[in-house]
Amino acid sequence: MTPVIEASGLTKRYGRVIALDRLDLQVRPGEVHGYLGPNGAGKSTTIRILLGLARATSGTVRVLDGDPWRDAARLHRRIASVPGDVALWPALSGGETIDLLVRLRGGDLRSAEYRHRRAELIEAFRFDPSRRARSYSKGNRQKVALIAALAHPADLCVFDEPTSGLDPLMEAVFTREVGALAARGSTVLLSSHILSEVERLCDRISILRAGRIVETGTLDELRHLTRTAVSFERGQLTESMLAGIPGVHDLAIAEGRVSLTLASDAVAAALPALGALEVTGLQVAPPSLEDLFLRHYGDEPVSA
Amino acid sequence: MLLALLRFRLRRDRLQLVVWALSLAALLAITASAMTTTYPAVADRVGVLRVALVTPALLVLRGTPQGASLGDITVFEIATFQALLVGLMSTFLVVRNSRAEEDHGTAEALAATAAGRALPTIATLLEGVVANVLAAAVSALALIAGGLPVAGSVVFGAALGAAGCAFVGLGLLVAQVAPTGRSANGWCTALVLGAYALRGIGDATGTPHPQDATLTPGWESVLSPIGWVQSVRPYAADDLRPALLALVVGALAAAAALAVQRVRDLGEGLVPERRGRAEASGALAGPIGLAARLQRGSVIAWGIGAVLLGALGGDLATLVLGQLGSTPGVTDAMRRLAGPGSGILDGFIVVIGAFVGILAAAIAVQGAMRLRQEEVSGGADAVLSGGVSRVRWFLSIVLVAALGAAAALVLAGLAAAAAALAVRPDGSAGTFGAWFGTIVWQLPAVLVLLAIVALVFAVAPRASIPVGWLVLAAAAFLGEFAALLDLPQWIRDLAPFSHSPAVALADPSFAGAWWMTALAVAITALACVLVRRRDVAA
Repeated sequence: MTPVIEASGLTKRYGRVIALDRLDLQVRPGEVHGYLGPNGAGKSTTIRILLGLARATSGTVRVLDGDPWRDAARLHRRIASVPGDVALWPALSGGETIDLLVRLRGGDLRSAEYRHRRAELIEAFRFDPSRRARSYSKGNRQKVALIAALAHPADLCVFDEPTSGLDPLMEAVFTREVGALAARGSTVLLSSHILSEVERLCDRISILRAGRIVETGTLDELRHLTRTAVSFERGQLTESMLAGIPGVHDLAIAEGRVSLTLASDAVAAALPALGALEVTGLQVAPPSLEDLFLRHYGDEPVSA
Repeated sequence: MLLALLRFRLRRDRLQLVVWALSLAALLAITASAMTTTYPAVADRVGVLRVALVTPALLVLRGTPQGASLGDITVFEIATFQALLVGLMSTFLVVRNSRAEEDHGTAEALAATAAGRALPTIATLLEGVVANVLAAAVSALALIAGGLPVAGSVVFGAALGAAGCAFVGLGLLVAQVAPTGRSANGWCTALVLGAYALRGIGDATGTPHPQDATLTPGWESVLSPIGWVQSVRPYAADDLRPALLALVVGALAAAAALAVQRVRDLGEGLVPERRGRAEASGALAGPIGLAARLQRGSVIAWGIGAVLLGALGGDLATLVLGQLGSTPGVTDAMRRLAGPGSGILDGFIVVIGAFVGILAAAIAVQGAMRLRQEEVSGGADAVLSGGVSRVRWFLSIVLVAALGAAAALVLAGLAAAAAALAVRPDGSAGTFGAWFGTIVWQLPAVLVLLAIVALVFAVAPRASIPVGWLVLAAAAFLGEFAALLDLPQWIRDLAPFSHSPAVALADPSFAGAWWMTALAVAITALACVLVRRRDVAA
């Protein structure tokens, strides 16, 4: 199957600044692909190139088997997008904006299906479509773009940090809707720096750092790259006893607890040894996305 | 704290304040010296004022004739227009620093500090007063420099400043009441233009006294802050009581504004914003519908101006045929504007046509500047992420701008012809063809300006808006003043309006019009190619 998005060697320069540096990205049909990276890593630049709003300096990029720069208008009838910072026309109401955006993508406003979906989404997001856009908060502006994107079916949905202004209830609605999109067979590219959201929603993940993809794969595949954290109570155990556990790294003892890490594929091998030591209060934590993330971004805390 | 806020405001607005003050001073100085050279003798001035006394359209545009001294006629010529400018300066200043800030969210940042809600508003009020003291001072100095008596000049400056302070207070009140900053600006423009129109009615319906070339305005003038400037009668009476009234009204309005602010929420006007439609109408169907919706306001505003100017021109045509036409200076100036060999009436029609053309160009150029505004605000992203190509998006906005300008020209042409035929049904004040044709044939020149700004958007997007205003101002200046100022021919030829066919003349040449149309199409095509090649700014 041809990938829905395929970029190779994608480079984008703004003057001297290199926003994307030989980036390779592949998104397969029907998957929900998480696009992770801190602010300034190049997530939005990638999306602008995928949408044909900016042209790659070098490298190739194909979206839905077309050239996003040359075939932008044709491709956009099959793509729904929600930008990170939703800008609206101040004098138009939210409802008018939703209808306009759907029409621009070739949607038929009179179709029963659209009318039903529109009403359903307005209800689910608790959105007031009659107010003028200038009075909407960030969350409400995002709702306009989300409703417009979700109300008319698309083969590819591109979301750029879509929930950054939504409250947890609305985030849950968004999660449900992305699930429905995947069930219908749409492909989703979800850029985010909210790790729990990506963990919950995405089939595959690409991690971006300074304009390059540093990891890509399923969450399980990525977990193999890092270590599982294990901790238990120290009790009467001595350091030499602990050193007998196979594959131990980062051994530390603090406040009466022992903590260590194991390569993710060495956990099973270490369990009998732990059993023999009769450890109590055992906790085994699989690597979280946060650990993956921190591994690539050093010690800086990740702000969610 | 208050001083810190005031300093911050003044620092941020200093360039605007200086530009306003210098423009006001320049306008006054030019007018005063033009009066001295055009009407040196009392007899000249009495003659012109007597014509004005029997021509309501001229009284509306100028003011109350209050005597025949040089100072008097300067006040007659420019006082109301000057007060109009001061009114716009004052109201825009206070709206920009009150409600507009609330819409942007910066007011919230200030209100959250120890400054609270009232102090920033008081700082804005003080800034308005400072701006008007400055305007008053430079106005007085400009008039004195123009050779007019010191006492009257100072009184004129004071009357102007006082009227400005009235508008500061009223603008502040409007800003508290209107639903948004943008609508507050609209209401304020209506308020200032209304004040101008009200005293225009008062002047037009007043009682003339031809023997001493004065006029007692109708009661309407008493209701208008611009009328108060006139009733001070600088140079003639120097009666400062109306200026005091202006200050009192300004203070009361400001107090009312502060009272309203105590009871309303930040960001919400007293009048709630009208709810919009929950669904898009059929008109909002695509990029053209959107472009039309976005440009509607500017097309209507400039269009009304163009139609009024056309009607006024048609109505004034008889004046040119009458006494004014026999004044040597006027005939001469008209001939230089319209070209050699033209009759006085034909020349007048050509001049009015070019004026209307500039208003239509404002529609077109503002439309082209919308390209950049949409790119910066992110609206362009939203359209281009839908199934719309860059070229189609670009052409939609350009096309709507061109159609808006064309519609304004057609309506203004009809209005001018109708007005001319209403006063002289036999066509001796200009035939339908002469008026309508002259005005409508400004379109090629308008399209050239539109295409230039669109090309700048494609090549150097950041420059679009400054270049847009510059192109418009330059075309207006060259079109109207190049001939009077004896500029070299090649500079005059740069102005598109100088190539518009003078349809009113016996044997008009249309070559320039076709060349300009071809040029506009070629430039737009080039812009299309270039717009396809560049990124949309993030």
